[in-house]
Amino acid sequence: MSTALLDATGLSVRFGGVRALDGLDLHVGEGEVIGLIGPNGSGKTTFFNTLTGFVFPADGRVTFAGEDITALPAREVAKRGIARTFQRLRLLLELSVFDNLMLGQHLSLDHGVWANIVARGGLRRSLEKQRETARALLRYFSDSLPDRLSEPAGSLTMIDRRRVEVCRALIRDPKLLLLDEPSAGMTPDETRELMQDLQSVKAERPALAVVLIEHDMEVIESVSHRCVVLDYGRKLCEGSYSEVSQDPAVRRAYLGVEDE
Amino acid sequence: MDLALLAQHALNGAMLGVIYALVAVGFTLFFGVLDVIKFSHGDVVMLGAFTGLATSIGLSSAFGSVPPWIAVIVITLTAVAAMALVGALMAKFLVLPLHKAPTLNVLLITLMAGTVIRESVRLFYPQGSNPKPFPRLLPDGAVNLGRLTLRFDSAILLAIGVIAIVGVHLLITRTRLGLAIRAVAQDPETASAMGIPFQATVLATFALGSGLAALAGVVNGLYYSEVNFSMGLLLGAIGFSAAVIGGLGNVYGAILGGFIFAALQTIGAVALPIASAYKDVFAFGAVIALMAWKPAGLLAERSAERV
Repeated sequence: MSTALLDATGLSVRFGGVRALDGLDLHVGEGEVIGLIGPNGSGKTTFFNTLTGFVFPADGRVTFAGEDITALPAREVAKRGIARTFQRLRLLLELSVFDNLMLGQHLSLDHGVWANIVARGGLRRSLEKQRETARALLRYFSDSLPDRLSEPAGSLTMIDRRRVEVCRALIRDPKLLLLDEPSAGMTPDETRELMQDLQSVKAERPALAVVLIEHDMEVIESVSHRCVVLDYGRKLCEGSYSEVSQDPAVRRAYLGVEDE
Repeated sequence: MDLALLAQHALNGAMLGVIYALVAVGFTLFFGVLDVIKFSHGDVVMLGAFTGLATSIGLSSAFGSVPPWIAVIVITLTAVAAMALVGALMAKFLVLPLHKAPTLNVLLITLMAGTVIRESVRLFYPQGSNPKPFPRLLPDGAVNLGRLTLRFDSAILLAIGVIAIVGVHLLITRTRLGLAIRAVAQDPETASAMGIPFQATVLATFALGSGLAALAGVVNGLYYSEVNFSMGLLLGAIGFSAAVIGGLGNVYGAILGGFIFAALQTIGAVALPIASAYKDVFAFGAVIALMAWKPAGLLAERSAERV
């Protein structure tokens, strides 16, 4: 087993009478890419929400880089290096592409009120540096995006919005990236392209761990080191793609295949 | 009507517009970050003006005669700082605890808070029910440009107001706090996922809006040389109308709305020369007509696209 980055043990979340997560254990090692699959309503997004402080578990705990983060609110989790994207894109469409990316590194910005008044020269240099960082990151994903920093995010196409959202998560240099169905609303070709671009970022950041929720099995097969299958908030099975895809329980629950 | 008179009216209108815009920006900021209407805002304007008045009395009793420009600066800063604190405290103890409650409850509780502020000033400020003279601290003179008279005090107040409005614009668009305010206004959940502290941003927004209200109160006092405990009622109604005309949630809409309302009042006063006392009736009537024409306001907050 690789060095533990994230350890979730016995996570349970209830919404009224529904057990959205039911004693889930999940281990993520440094630099690992994990595919999280399961039918709709199996608790995948709830798991992300629990990790990132949007939902608090009734039971169980989450440790991240050796620290208990179970009860931390969203912004504290963000500070510790977990970044995420959302299934329904959550870019702030009225803000510019650059402002959206700056949100991703809001914690490390130094353009406060005083800097604006007394240190405008330094501010301009640091802003230009941040713009350059933003352009460099966007360049991994698209040739045209780096030139569109000042346009409102709402003016971008679906795939470009998705790319910007991924960059917003990446720009803070997180240790763990949670991708919630990045292919939603995109064509298979666009998804494949996004995954390839992501791989090239990952190649330069070997320590970056990724958990990916995805319905497209080809995507899962091509990028993940390990697959975890959820069903009714529980771990149905875990292993390499080929192990998981051969598992009869998985074939019944997820792929909808009856044993012949 | 000749040009000089027209320019004179435009100048007076601009002066009022600046005051209204400062009040309206508060309404729109509060609505932006929390989707609430804070009906005590007009009374915070009044409390700011009285804080300024009390500070000036305190200054002259402690130090004798103080150079007027120092007095203006001290009065303004004290009033702005005090109201910023009041605004943050109200957000912390009245508005945020009701965050998950229906917005009507916030409306009610701030309406009550406004009444408490107003009646407290009336009861506890010495002879608070009478109008109070506000010290004339700005130079008296005027320059005559042809037949247009430009009073120094109006020019200075206009400049203070315009600087404040430009300052708000820079704060919102250029600073980390501004980015946090815009992000929380659009989507508080995403903002917190990005590491933006929700409560601190809300408190800072209420401090900012209330500080601007105090500035509006002091400018109003310096302009009319008089303040009274009920001045916040009309200013609150005007500021709220201006924010709604411009499109609640949009800072530039609120500024535009403030100037539009002032223009309507001025037009009312000029067009109804025998009945200029009806200028407010004319202006509010026009607001009703505007609302019928553009129910979402002139620069409506674009509703978030759903994908």
